Amino acid sequence: MPAHLLPMPLANYVSLSAVMFFIGVAGVIVRRNPLIMLMSIELMFNAANLLFVAYARAWLNNAGHIFAFLVITVAAAEAAIALAIVVVAFRSSDRVDVDDVRTLHG
Amino acid sequence: MILVALLLPLAGAALCWAFGPRLRGAAGWLATAAVGLSFIAILVAGSGREALFTWMPGFDFGLSLDRLSLLWSVVITGVGCLIHLYSIGYMHGDRGFARFFAYMNFFIFAMLLLVLSDNWVGLLIGWGLVGLASYFLIGYWFDRPSAVAAARKAFVMNVVGDVGMMFAIFLLVANLHTIRMSDAFASAASLSPALLYAICFGLFVGAAAKSAQVPLHTWLPDAMEGPTPVSALIHAATMVTAGVYLVARCAPLWDQSASAQMLVGTIGALTAISAAILGAAQWDIKRILAYSTMSQIGYMIMGVGVGAYAGGIAHFFTHAFFKAQLFLASGIIIHALGNEQDVRLMGGLRKRMPLAFWGILTGVLAISGIPGFSGFFSKDQIVAGALAHGHPYMYAVGIVTAGITAYYMFRLFFITFLGEYRGNVDPASVGITRETTNAAPHEPGDDAHHAPAWIMGLPVALLIIPTVLAGWLLFGSDASPSPWSRFFAPQFAGPATAAVPIPDWLTTAITFAVVLIGIGVAALRYATSAARADAVARLRSESLNMPKVLTHQYYMDALINFVFVRGARLLGAVFGRIVDPFVIDGAVRESATSAQSLGTAVRALQSGLLRAYAFVIAIGAGCFLVYYLVTGLPHR
Repeated sequence: MPAHLLPMPLANYVSLSAVMFFIGVAGVIVRRNPLIMLMSIELMFNAANLLFVAYARAWLNNAGHIFAFLVITVAAAEAAIALAIVVVAFRSSDRVDVDDVRTLHG
Repeated sequence: MILVALLLPLAGAALCWAFGPRLRGAAGWLATAAVGLSFIAILVAGSGREALFTWMPGFDFGLSLDRLSLLWSVVITGVGCLIHLYSIGYMHGDRGFARFFAYMNFFIFAMLLLVLSDNWVGLLIGWGLVGLASYFLIGYWFDRPSAVAAARKAFVMNVVGDVGMMFAIFLLVANLHTIRMSDAFASAASLSPALLYAICFGLFVGAAAKSAQVPLHTWLPDAMEGPTPVSALIHAATMVTAGVYLVARCAPLWDQSASAQMLVGTIGALTAISAAILGAAQWDIKRILAYSTMSQIGYMIMGVGVGAYAGGIAHFFTHAFFKAQLFLASGIIIHALGNEQDVRLMGGLRKRMPLAFWGILTGVLAISGIPGFSGFFSKDQIVAGALAHGHPYMYAVGIVTAGITAYYMFRLFFITFLGEYRGNVDPASVGITRETTNAAPHEPGDDAHHAPAWIMGLPVALLIIPTVLAGWLLFGSDASPSPWSRFFAPQFAGPATAAVPIPDWLTTAITFAVVLIGIGVAALRYATSAARADAVARLRSESLNMPKVLTHQYYMDALINFVFVRGARLLGAVFGRIVDPFVIDGAVRESATSAQSLGTAVRALQSGLLRAYAFVIAIGAGCFLVYYLVTGLPHR
């Protein structure tokens, strides 16, 4: 039985996932456009999915695939809700900037 | 049937209370009928035990009617019925007529519960409820501040007793694991002497408070603020003898603890003589009778305390008749004189009120212990019993007290009925000053002239019979015991009495001689023709020269006031001025301010900037990452 079913070393997948994740983190923190921030969050989800799938192949365990599908489902639902909030929040405003939404500040 | 006897007065109370305004005058008859039927039910039942319900597994409630509780129940309902009848006349026209009878019936119920319960819990409930009924009735005229104060005082002092009794019952139940009295008595021998003494002490604190024994006695004279029938029923005939009942009921406990017996006997003797001395210094007719009640209960307590149980409860039996008689007859006087209670303003009433005269005369003869009258036999039994059980000092106190009793009762009698009527003289001329008089209370809405006279006269006339004759039940000798001692022989299996150096006939003779001396002194001072002619001046000089220590009741009230009332106020001041503002309020205020400052510190984090939150989350995640990089993942 082969050790794994990966076409290249596992480290490559992990590195790619890490890079994608940090790009996502940086995008959420740095950008002020909510649409871009949502896309960055999706990027973080996908980094996680990549790790799930890569390890599933590496360890011959299908649980990782299942989790990847679960994450995709949740991400879709989250995107739908988040976009609705964004639309509602910015219907009155002509600018699209999260820093202008501060009604919850203490 | 016992249950019926118990519940009839309760039903009467409920009806009088609920439908009082609609019943009007009928409330009195309803209440009297309830007590009368209860009396019949007691007689029909005769004896026996009725289980009521199970409180907890192993803890059964029941009623039991044995010889002792039969005696008490018969007096409570019998004398109670007569006093209810009397009250219909006495309370006629009072605004709270139905309320009065509701309270009276409630009292009868509570007192029956006290004596009929076969377990400690029922006894304690009855004990508390009679105190409550007494509170209601002392403070019956609630628009009179002195009555309200007296009611409060009586209640507080009774609660002191209730607490003592409660702890005794806790000890009994915790150590013997039963609430039924007969079981507790059967296994009382397993208690250690110290524990037994503690139990007896606690029980006696309750008994002393209820029966107005020194030093818990000061509420009883004040309790005369209640209507006179209340004084007759509760504060003379029945409730105040509950302490005697308790000691007699718990005879198996006392029999095993000589030191507890000594305590009870000593307190009884002390109360008997000190109250008798105070009785000789009073001018208010009801207060004289109140002190004589205290003194006579002191006799009873002394009797049951030394182990002469049959004698102690015999004195309860005769005292219930003659003291109720005295109170009811004096009620007739008070009523007729427009609520005047000061004997100095009476005098010469023999012709004006013949029934009151005969009622008080027989009562006085009975309480003084004139041979042939009821009090003679029962008092004699107690005095002789004290010696027979080896207490010569109590024996001596008993004899001396008998003399003082004769003195002050005949003093009351002479001042009230002989000489000229003094109701129209200036109060100051007979020495009535503001401090010594009880401001003659106006009983609201009373109007004596509509109730038929026989309603108040009949109970007094009927009570004369047992007042004179009840004592003959006790007539007997060692060879042929009296009906009384034969009846109660199975109830009290106390230790055998010792042979005494003084034979019974000599004791009787000594007591009678002392009584005659007392009567002689009273007659010399108040009954000679010179004294009668000069009554106003003599009363004036006696009032003004009365020793301060007697007019202030040995300063007992002042002492209690100083130690407990002032002490409680001081404690209150400490808590009110120091503990409350600084410790309790301080803690509350401190927690409020600290919550506020914490909020001020933390609110800076709530910037509302979405990206700032995201940054914090990223930092947190980074910290976790670094932590696991440093320590490694946990092993599974």
